Amino acid sequence: MLDSKTKSVLLERIRTVVGSDHVTVNETDAILNAHDANPLSEAKIRAGESLPLADLIVFPASTEEVSKVLKLANELRVPVVPVGGGAGTCGGTLPVYGGIQLDLKRMDKVILIDNQSMLVQVQAGVVGIDLEEEVNRQGYTTGHTPTSLRASNVGGFIATRSGGSMSSLYGKIEDLTLGLEVVLADGSVIRCKAVPRHSVGPDLKQLFIGSEGTLCVITEATLRLFPLPKERRFRSMSFPDVHSGLEAIRLIFREGVLPSVVRLYDPEDTALHVSSHFDVEEGSCMLMLAFDGRAEKVAVEESIAAEICLKNGAKDYGEGPSRYWWEHRYDMYYPTKFATSGYSVGDTIDIVATYDKLENVYHEMKKAMEAHDAVVMSHFSHMYPNGGSIYMIFFVSKEDASSAWSAYKGIWDDGVAACLRMGGTMSHQHGVGTTRSTYTEAEWGSGFQVLRQIKEVLDPNGIMNPGKLGMGGRS
Amino acid sequence: MDQAKTAEQLRLCAACPKMCRHMCPTFLAWRSDSPTPHSRSLLVYQEMNGTRNLDERAIEVLYQCLECSQCLVWCLPQVDVAAIVEDTRTRLVEQQRYPQGLDKISSMIATNHNPFGELHSKRSKWFTPAKNVGKKIVYFSGCTAAYRENGIAQSTASLLTKLGYGVSIMNDEWCCGSPLFRTGFRNQGLEEARHNADVLNKQDAQEIVVTCPGCYRALSRDYPENGVQLARPVIHISQLLERHLDELKTADFGGLVTFHDPCHLGRHCGIYDPPRRVLNKISGGKVVEMQRNRENAMCCGNGAGMRMLFEEQARVIGKARVQQARNVGAAYLVTSCPFCKNMLASQDAEGLTVLDLPEIVMASYHLHPKVKM
Repeated sequence: MLDSKTKSVLLERIRTVVGSDHVTVNETDAILNAHDANPLSEAKIRAGESLPLADLIVFPASTEEVSKVLKLANELRVPVVPVGGGAGTCGGTLPVYGGIQLDLKRMDKVILIDNQSMLVQVQAGVVGIDLEEEVNRQGYTTGHTPTSLRASNVGGFIATRSGGSMSSLYGKIEDLTLGLEVVLADGSVIRCKAVPRHSVGPDLKQLFIGSEGTLCVITEATLRLFPLPKERRFRSMSFPDVHSGLEAIRLIFREGVLPSVVRLYDPEDTALHVSSHFDVEEGSCMLMLAFDGRAEKVAVEESIAAEICLKNGAKDYGEGPSRYWWEHRYDMYYPTKFATSGYSVGDTIDIVATYDKLENVYHEMKKAMEAHDAVVMSHFSHMYPNGGSIYMIFFVSKEDASSAWSAYKGIWDDGVAACLRMGGTMSHQHGVGTTRSTYTEAEWGSGFQVLRQIKEVLDPNGIMNPGKLGMGGRS
Repeated sequence: MDQAKTAEQLRLCAACPKMCRHMCPTFLAWRSDSPTPHSRSLLVYQEMNGTRNLDERAIEVLYQCLECSQCLVWCLPQVDVAAIVEDTRTRLVEQQRYPQGLDKISSMIATNHNPFGELHSKRSKWFTPAKNVGKKIVYFSGCTAAYRENGIAQSTASLLTKLGYGVSIMNDEWCCGSPLFRTGFRNQGLEEARHNADVLNKQDAQEIVVTCPGCYRALSRDYPENGVQLARPVIHISQLLERHLDELKTADFGGLVTFHDPCHLGRHCGIYDPPRRVLNKISGGKVVEMQRNRENAMCCGNGAGMRMLFEEQARVIGKARVQQARNVGAAYLVTSCPFCKNMLASQDAEGLTVLDLPEIVMASYHLHPKVKM
């Protein structure tokens, strides 16, 4: 927290930048802005606990205002926590050390849709669903549809290297971002030109994508667009076990087929999310596929994929489970009575690994997490030709808050350790935030020193989102 | 709502990653996480479980709500934030902890029985009785049509007469109470309600017709829920006109017509089709839907005390709604609510004619001189 003199000076000077209506030091506003969708934060709020609060919340309207605010913060050595939609699950916007929460929601303009190059230039504060609907009206899709689409925004997507439910076909946000505008801690504005590819040294924008506010504030982006698919077909296949399902997925990609949706539910996840609507055998694993594009292309892809599945021991469920998931894909994001009762907390460790390691990572993580009396269920989604992601979902409930938070931490510690031990990477799309911050160095290995040195150069005063991404802890 | 149910709803909403926020008009107006459904619930939740009392800012946030119930449409667990906000406001008023800006509306209704501070004696000035021997119907005009949107009241009376009704108005109509119910002054609202019920129940009429959805909700929902019974059925003008579709004329309006669903008529009372059927008939099918329509129609910004307390932000919402009508190429933005019409017409509606339903129906007959086409 800032001392009262610094806070007062900062407030007065920031008012001259954004106007009095767009900066607040009110405690109620700080409380309402403190949390993102981090399950531990939400559980603590339910339990009546307090979260760290920002000293000031600032709502800039332009890149210029962001730049001026950062210059002031840098001069006064005040922490700055950029806030997008506040829909992240890892506590990335939690103002651990107080300071300024720089909320980008007023920067909400879709600046330009370029039909010729199929690009959209957009400010960071545009909410995902608003962008998607805007480009849909012009006949396009961004291809980026995470479950949080209604709550998250463009800046948050890029800051966390997020991934949508159709990333197998369209790619993750790092694939979709062609151009980027960011502001550094000293207020300098950096613009990475939007080009499809280049060979002019390293790709600087990729340094900023996923930096979670620790290196810069993302203010604007140019994203790829795709024509809305003429057809989207769904197919579902049930496998006797995870192994055969994964093998079928691997072979589908090997045949050159890129489904838009690939989701393989393990027996527990199938039992919970599929068996209540469809008659599935106990212990089976449901694979949900979708194919986007022209009708002829989609028919061929579906046919090839179905043939591979059936050869690998699948039972054909037609479009049912897959279409049902698609039509209810946002439902799982809503809280339930069960998951919010008492001292309960659930979360997802979304890891990623290559095919040679994926199954072992799954089994080892499941074993490590279940050792804490947690209910663990998983699905393999966001699959690619060389591997994919696992959603290791867990839920734990205890008699008191301290036991619940302790179990939660234990599950994370042991789950991530198992992932790293078996050669996986600890996040595919959710990011690091506070939840994974202490594991970052182990994940990066010797490369972490490079990241740390970059941070020291770009943010020598350590003001940018301290305590996240394993960097910038303050006393 | 009972306490256990409220507690459960608050817990669910406070734990939600804001799945309805993008549809909330006040989020659009402020672009901040404070005036959003999730935050309103979180504040009441924290107060309920003893974490933190409602301070002045928290109370302000609870009044930065239109009670439009758009959030409920997007809520899988069906958390009724508008009801929670209204219950909390009622408690705050009882505790004398409401924004002082509301004293004006409360005192003006207490003195003049309308929220505009106009003389009660002038309430019926717009009305010229017509001789008709048809089915007797009493028109409850409501305050806005009586004092601010006379065209709606006069069109309605003329239209009802034309359709063969014997139209009367109340001998001593008071505010329906809606602005009071919505802002937490429930007891004061019930005083208005009891008076209206007493007078209406003595009136010689078979039905009560209203043009204001706020009045419609008050008379048909709030009154009986609070033990105030009306002896005759209450009907909205759109429902009445739907009965007479065959008698309505089709006219060439020279452009497309779009309909703005008032929150109280649509989401709160489930009336979506009647006004559309009427418009479809009189325009010869030249009706176009805005992208946000029916249960997803965006509030006009003029509800639940917002315009009185936060006029700038209310206008941001109204302006956005007008733009949504422009986006679909409409020449006429029609609503069926004097309150909505007043807000939408006062925005930058150049090139767009904003009318209420009875006004455009009368325009189709080319009878009413006050309708500007």
